[in-house]
Amino acid sequence: MKKLIFTGLLSAVSFLSTSQREIEFVEYDLDNGIHVILHKEPATPIAVVSVLYHVGSKNEKPDRTGFAHFFEHLLFEGTENIERGEYSELVEKNGGGLNANTSHDRTFYYELLPSNQLELGIWLESERMMHAKVDNVGIETQRSVVKEEKRQRIDNQPYATFIGEMFQRMFKTHPYNWQPIGSMEHLDAAQEEDYVNFYRTYYVPANATVSIAGDIDIEQTKKWVTKYFSSIPKGEAINLYRDLETMPETEFIGKYGVAKSDFDAKTKAPTTAKAKEVFNKYSNTPVKIERTQKVTERISGITKDVIYDNIQLPGLFMGYQFPEQTHADFYALNMMNDVLSGGASSRINKNLVERKEMAQFAFSFAYGLEDAGMGIFAAIAAKDVPLDDIQTEFDAEIEKIKNELISQEEFEKIRNQYENQFITSNSSVAGIAENLADNHVYNGGAKSINTELQKYMSVTREDIQRVAKEYLTQDARIILHYLPKEDEK
Amino acid sequence: MKTIILTLAFVLPSVLFAQLDRSVRPEPGAAPSINIKDSEVFKTSNGITVILSENHKLPKVSFNLVVAAAPQLEGSMTGLSDIAGSLIQSGTTGRTKDELDAEIDYIGASLSADNNSIYLSCLTKHMDKGLNIMSDITMNANFPQSEVDRIIKQAESGLLATKSDAGSMAQNAVAVSNFKNHPFGEVLNEETLANINREAIVDYYTKTFTPNGSYLVVVGDINKQQATEMIEKYFSGWNGGDVNRTKYDVALINDGNNVVFVKKPGAVQSVINITHPMEITPSNPDYIKLQVLNGVLGGGAFSNRLMMNLREDKAYTYGCRSSIDVNEYGSSFSAGGNFRNEVSDSAIVEILKELESVTKDLVGDEELAITKSSMAGGFARSLENPATIARFALSIIKYDLPSDYYQTYLQKLDAVTKEDLLAVAKKYLSPSNCNIVVVGNEEILDKLQRFDADGEITKLDAFGKVMKEMLPADITKEELINKYIAVSTMTSSAKELSKKMKKVKSMEEVTELKMEQVPFPLKSTRVWVAPNSSAEKMEGQGMVFQRSFFDGSTGGSFNMQTGKSTLSEEEIAAKKKSIGMFPEMNYATSGMEYELLGIEKRDGKDCYVLKTNDGQTESFDYFDKETFYKVGSTNIQKNGDQVQETSLTYSDFKVQDGFLFPNKLIISLGPTSFEATVVSRTMNAKIDLESYK
Repeated sequence: MKKLIFTGLLSAVSFLSTSQREIEFVEYDLDNGIHVILHKEPATPIAVVSVLYHVGSKNEKPDRTGFAHFFEHLLFEGTENIERGEYSELVEKNGGGLNANTSHDRTFYYELLPSNQLELGIWLESERMMHAKVDNVGIETQRSVVKEEKRQRIDNQPYATFIGEMFQRMFKTHPYNWQPIGSMEHLDAAQEEDYVNFYRTYYVPANATVSIAGDIDIEQTKKWVTKYFSSIPKGEAINLYRDLETMPETEFIGKYGVAKSDFDAKTKAPTTAKAKEVFNKYSNTPVKIERTQKVTERISGITKDVIYDNIQLPGLFMGYQFPEQTHADFYALNMMNDVLSGGASSRINKNLVERKEMAQFAFSFAYGLEDAGMGIFAAIAAKDVPLDDIQTEFDAEIEKIKNELISQEEFEKIRNQYENQFITSNSSVAGIAENLADNHVYNGGAKSINTELQKYMSVTREDIQRVAKEYLTQDARIILHYLPKEDEK
Repeated sequence: MKTIILTLAFVLPSVLFAQLDRSVRPEPGAAPSINIKDSEVFKTSNGITVILSENHKLPKVSFNLVVAAAPQLEGSMTGLSDIAGSLIQSGTTGRTKDELDAEIDYIGASLSADNNSIYLSCLTKHMDKGLNIMSDITMNANFPQSEVDRIIKQAESGLLATKSDAGSMAQNAVAVSNFKNHPFGEVLNEETLANINREAIVDYYTKTFTPNGSYLVVVGDINKQQATEMIEKYFSGWNGGDVNRTKYDVALINDGNNVVFVKKPGAVQSVINITHPMEITPSNPDYIKLQVLNGVLGGGAFSNRLMMNLREDKAYTYGCRSSIDVNEYGSSFSAGGNFRNEVSDSAIVEILKELESVTKDLVGDEELAITKSSMAGGFARSLENPATIARFALSIIKYDLPSDYYQTYLQKLDAVTKEDLLAVAKKYLSPSNCNIVVVGNEEILDKLQRFDADGEITKLDAFGKVMKEMLPADITKEELINKYIAVSTMTSSAKELSKKMKKVKSMEEVTELKMEQVPFPLKSTRVWVAPNSSAEKMEGQGMVFQRSFFDGSTGGSFNMQTGKSTLSEEEIAAKKKSIGMFPEMNYATSGMEYELLGIEKRDGKDCYVLKTNDGQTESFDYFDKETFYKVGSTNIQKNGDQVQETSLTYSDFKVQDGFLFPNKLIISLGPTSFEATVVSRTMNAKIDLESYK
């Protein structure tokens, strides 16, 4: 449970999540700002309830990195109405499953349940949004879990730091500078208050997309969404509500000028005129979220560095600046990448690994994010092959794709591959719910789920050559050499 | 007016707000029915029953061909059908194995086969090509001898692995004990494997893979007309005789509990299965009730009875579960898990208690409700996978179930009462007529005696064969070691030995290892330098994965994942006990604990079994009674509760530089095993021990 994804690594396949068949859905906004997407797929009596919070590591402060991912862990700890440990148990004993993941750009939670437990799932997610337990007990527990995760997934994996190293050098000012896993020192240094503030800023209705798919009755689902999600206070009132539950009385009076007794003990609704006025004022004060900007500045020059790691064979990593994932050119860049590195018959694998046996592994990928993108070429050297020789081979492939149109045959193969992948994807309701939410947040609307394949099919061979020329800039790139620690003297 | 609007503005949100008491948890709705479309069923002229389940959600289609033959007794060729099944994709009269693989990959399809079925899944537009290949292997598989040899060799390694894998040993003992004179009770072993040959495989294939009574389940984006055309095109030429459908009776146990024990030297945990056959088939309406009963007892949500009692309350185990296997040819019940040696008998007491409890008293309402809803959820979620639908469609036809059997499964599940559970528990569970199968350490044997109705524990070997007791040794441990050393060094007196050994200053042995999981060969180098230094390393593809050294007083190791470490006091003490080119020569003085246990058969030959313990590793070394060659060794390394067992088999003994050495080694580690071949052995070479540090 609770995994950290490097969206970028997966971005090469994330667009595959759309298929030829039209996916129908309804979408609307609640008064408190929640965007709701409902997709009916009655084939199987199951339903997925998901919430995407538009908060990722790029929303963190430079001295408090790792928060977004940490919250993904913390928010399984329970709520005002759900005991510690009970959240997962409730799902599992009702025949369901649950999980979550975090990227640079967003955090995604979901429950997959039998369709007659849909209301339970909606309630669970509304509880998480309304008043999750953000306290020291949970923070302490999850801190050690996250540290283990980092050791296992990154520190202990040879070469695994290369994404972080690449991002650091590519994005000097943008918060893509750091990775979602963040800094363990920052997590240690953070106080309960820091955590509470993060929750109060980003876990609010206006920052959430609720996406529900499966064997659902749309009208009934809307009623439940209204019941559990519309009842979540709007704007800063959500935080007034949270204070009502956790803040000491005197502090509460000091902050809001009304007593806790001015609110109903059970439903927390304001009961006096004064309390209603305060509540109304806070409802109409939006929670301020500072959004990051798209990266427009291009890197210049060649940055070359050596990194020593617990490895035996040297590794070469080259990074090129790509546009953001929604940029029109990104489709052609993805297809260009498939010519170079899609499958066993691709150019890089055939030449560097199989024919010339210069590398143990060699591949490239297109890393797409909300504000920027990156193309990465990577190779683990075969024994005694100098990294510079591998770079020469990579450069030859790059020059070739910039200077010559790809063959008609390669073009057909890639189009077929895309078609195949599109068809096989979106076979699960959980996948559809996530793709709909992603499309809403990134691609200008959930409806984009139905036009993605078309965008790929309209890419021409000339487009591929053009983007290769534009983005594979040999005079502006990052080159990293990974060498064994033993060589560090 | 203004005031009114304002008032409304702050009353409105709070109205909604006030309506909800969030501490109230939603109740589930009514169990949904399942929208599984009815399948079309039709028969072809050559006897195939086609079950077509259209599903146009994705342009994909799957074909699952299941032949009608029932499992048969295989006797001296037990395992034949499984070996044949794993060879069906190894070539046809028109295509080599490489061609088959390449063509399937090209269309992105998946194709698999076993002893009674063949399965294809692909995009609808590629089905012509896919079916061309599928029908080819259905009708024209030609079992090249080289492939037969390869698969049999693979199976040999698998058998070796079984000997050190408690789980496989338990599975074999359970099968043999529950299903006497029944195909399910036959277990592949080295002797039956040796009897399997190409001729028998071809005969099995020819007689089994015939259209008569077979089922072809077609699921996905295809309509009846297309399916009919495709099947006509690719399967109308398929013919063959009647298949053997003989069914075997299951013999219920009715003479009290029977303890079955399989010895696992050095085990710190026992694998316990309390099990018995049952007389029930999948078409019996009691089946669902029995599934719910099993859920409450130990098969469902985490909060089942066995888990709560044996793990959460008693902490005897990490997991204790029960299962039912309901099959048209023979069904059984089983409950158990892995338990520490000291509590193995207590665990049996508690499991039997739980079995008795459900056969005597009604279960509670809450546990029933939790079980049903957890089962309902699992069932519902499984349906998203089209393979599940295919399996259902087949069951309906095969077991003659009502056509809405799965559509109404959840309602049927919901209708199960606690009275139903008591009734099926009484009818099918039999806590006083069980096989209590224990795989474990011999030291717990005495404690098991009391569970056996006639007091006679049945002892089986790893393959379920009745075990012969170990015979007492006819020589002393010192005599055994002297004989072994004399044979290995090719000397006939102590004086000659001492003279010969003085001339040996070092030895370097390079071995090549081949593992299925690793695409490249691994090279292992072991060195010994007189008198007490030794070192080794493992490398592949130019990388050193691990290395270690010991110079007689200190040592250390390096591991690619964990880096460098130095030997602990305990490790050094252990290493000191097996020093020298032949450590056995020094046992008398090195402090090694050693004991000659007796004579036991290993791979059909009488062997002396020498048990040693250096404080870190317990070993059982096998010396051939006739030749005194060291032919095998089982090493058990304990680290807290973790036990790692390695089993070695030595062969290909050859004389080199005046010594006798084995040149082939089979290493079994848990369920995997691999082969190592000595590629070079150099005596008195200059060895740079530094390179191992």
